[in-house]
Amino acid sequence: MTELIKTPRAGETLPVTAGKRTNPLANVFDELVRFAQSRSLFMLHYCTGCGAIELPPAMTSRFDMERLGIQPMVSPRQADILLVTGYVSVKTLKRVILTYEQMGSPKYVIGICSCTVNGGMYWQSYATAKKLNDYMPVDIYIAGCMPRPEAVIAGLRELMENIRQGKADSWKDYYRHYDHYLGHQQRLFGETWQTPTDVISEARHYGLFGPDTLGTHTALLEQHQKPLEALEMKVDIPELTARR
Amino acid sequence: MTSLDHLLLVSALTLALMLLFGRTRIAGRLAVALYGVQFLLLMQTGALLGEPVASSLTVSVLDLPMHWRYDALSWFFAMITIGAGFFCAWYAAGVWQERYREQGHSPRLFHVALAANVLTMLILLGSGDLLSLFIGWELVSWASFLLMAVGGGPAGRAALRYLVYAFSGGMAILAGLMLIYTQTGSLEYTRVLTLFGELSDARVWTLLLLIGGGFAVKMGLLPFHLWQAAAYAETPGPGSSFLGAISARMGLYALILLLVAMVGIGRLTAMEVPFTFLSARDLIAWIAALTVIIPTYIALQQHDARYLLAWHGIGQGGYMLLGLMVGNAVGSAGGLFHVFTYGITQAALLMAVFAVVYRTGTADLNKLGGLVARMPLTFLVLLFGIISLAGLPPMAGFVSKWMVYRSLVAEGMPLLFVAAVVGTLGTILSVYKLIHNIFLGQLRIEHEQVREAPLSMLLPMLGLSTLIFLVGLMPGPALSWVAAVQTSLGLPPVPYTLGGIEDPRGGLDMLWLVGILMAGFGVGALIFFGLGGKSKRVHQLDNYAGGHFLTADVRYQYSDNFYAGLMHLIGPWYRGAFLWLEKALTATVAFISAVTNGLYRYAQPALFVLATAVALLALTTA
Repeated sequence: MTELIKTPRAGETLPVTAGKRTNPLANVFDELVRFAQSRSLFMLHYCTGCGAIELPPAMTSRFDMERLGIQPMVSPRQADILLVTGYVSVKTLKRVILTYEQMGSPKYVIGICSCTVNGGMYWQSYATAKKLNDYMPVDIYIAGCMPRPEAVIAGLRELMENIRQGKADSWKDYYRHYDHYLGHQQRLFGETWQTPTDVISEARHYGLFGPDTLGTHTALLEQHQKPLEALEMKVDIPELTARR
Repeated sequence: MTSLDHLLLVSALTLALMLLFGRTRIAGRLAVALYGVQFLLLMQTGALLGEPVASSLTVSVLDLPMHWRYDALSWFFAMITIGAGFFCAWYAAGVWQERYREQGHSPRLFHVALAANVLTMLILLGSGDLLSLFIGWELVSWASFLLMAVGGGPAGRAALRYLVYAFSGGMAILAGLMLIYTQTGSLEYTRVLTLFGELSDARVWTLLLLIGGGFAVKMGLLPFHLWQAAAYAETPGPGSSFLGAISARMGLYALILLLVAMVGIGRLTAMEVPFTFLSARDLIAWIAALTVIIPTYIALQQHDARYLLAWHGIGQGGYMLLGLMVGNAVGSAGGLFHVFTYGITQAALLMAVFAVVYRTGTADLNKLGGLVARMPLTFLVLLFGIISLAGLPPMAGFVSKWMVYRSLVAEGMPLLFVAAVVGTLGTILSVYKLIHNIFLGQLRIEHEQVREAPLSMLLPMLGLSTLIFLVGLMPGPALSWVAAVQTSLGLPPVPYTLGGIEDPRGGLDMLWLVGILMAGFGVGALIFFGLGGKSKRVHQLDNYAGGHFLTADVRYQYSDNFYAGLMHLIGPWYRGAFLWLEKALTATVAFISAVTNGLYRYAQPALFVLATAVALLALTTA
């Protein structure tokens, strides 16, 4: 699980955790894939607070995010980066988590503004989630109230560099320590909290199921969970099925 | 007895048997078998490649002999007609017929109407002179009226509207024939051909407007298109498929006879439209282009799947005439070939839509969605159909539309080309709306238990889809028919190969094209599965709606006002100018009839009749 101290700020580097494969060919291939991934990032900006106002200058001609290969995207299924740009109220946080879980892996979260780091000027508010990384793993925090576009660009470049080096893999943390994150979510939203995404089966799907994926909180989830089965495609021709 | 006699007799026999046994359960299967026999008999006439086959039946009216014969053009249209009858009867033969009976309709009437349509169309296609053409024309009009009206209710109203159009068109044709008769004293094609060579431009214009206008009514050419969509859409299932596939093409057949065989493209090009820089050919080509664009964009606005397709039927007719008006080998072949490719496409599409109607009870595009999970094979049929209708590879519609486009570019008609492409854009947009609103997106709770279409309806649909793909993959055999038709019409034949056409200025080989397309999919699949790609199905409520949590009672498939952005741009163009024109005409006729009515009925009728009689006597004696 990511703790705030371990989350890098712009300019810092994280200790390398990604294991290198022994086969040199596979290694080259991984490098290539990571390079390609770092140069083509689609960003879903969840503009919750004042930080959003710094994005238009960062995206438009003056700072031009697109020269780095970063573009806005309208839906989470196709997005790589979830950008949370300010304080998250309890109500908003539900939506942020829903959106995060709907994103396809690998996915990265960037918290912009002090509010996502520690609640910022809303620290005393009863309705605000203080630390974003209690609820989902955050790759990069860009602190400031608000950070200037230069800082936003610097943060994004940091993320790109981390992706290229294979260090930005905190999305795996969400699957490996799902119980931890779910616990924080349940603390805020109550025991019956459930999103449509079945994170545990996704963890199995990605091969990221670990000893900390399940725990007391997931047990609670299972008690309240209403199953959401995927719609099955049926070829049900009456004459043929009746004959069987 | 010639082979043509056999064909017409079996067709008449089909009608008689449907009248006798239409009530029974086997009527549908009997009809299918009989249409199959008709198809085989048509194949045996050999009218396509050999000499025209004459019928031994000749009738004389007022010293005017009428006779019937089949040449390559008749054979081509008759082949599509009987084929459409065969598939539509197959579709109707099983459970559809039973359901139709349970709903309180008469399957017998339906089968009779279908058989009458096929018979009258075969008679029309065999016409050997202008008189038999006119009689066949009227027979077809009344037979289609019968098929349109069997549904009752809105179908009946639409059919009556059609009748007014068909009647006016028929009268215009009759007036044109009378003009020809006064000039030549005969209605034989050979005499008429020489007559058209001798007539002055002004007289040819008159005849074109009268006869051509009458024929254009059936084809739904602008501005006579208003009747067609409702009349075809409201007809019960397979009947609608049949009408959509071939019925309006009878107008095209007659127009080909008039414009290509009698007047000739060369004469049309030489005839100037007074006070303009356009020739008659340009004028007709532009009418065809507008027929492509306007109905297609009206189709974009429809909320009913049947109406959407019926409006497309009008638009696609424009492509056929456009291709023919180009007049070169590839263009006219594209126009003729589109009759065939469009026929199989439209039949399959309407069958798929009516299969959905059969299962869900509605064709309203705002009340459907997500049916791909329950009716995957019907989805596949519709998918093949819309790819073909939009003119995209690898389906049949691509080949014919490509030929029309190519000829427009190659013959230096860039503006018409742009018009054709604009029409295709509208087609692509509206067929996407069709497949999205029916099959993609959210499955409604009330449709959870929907099952796949019954086998008796599914098989003809799948058969037509296979045909659409095969003709797209190997258009050669079908193009050989088209080439024979072109030869018989005196047009240069298209240089066809198995995979498409061969031309030093750029040919088409669908075998390669489809191969490369499939290889592209193959490479994609190889990359995905070879690199261990796994897919995962998600629940349909696990969907993004701006961060909202979706529940079963919240609908996230927005199908109403589908192209809101586009409609914002082009919406003001939908002003119903033609509807306004139609209403103005109706009001004028109603006014005149009211005035006449008032004159002879209320103001001294006896005096009125006396005055008329005196006037008539004075006229005739003087």
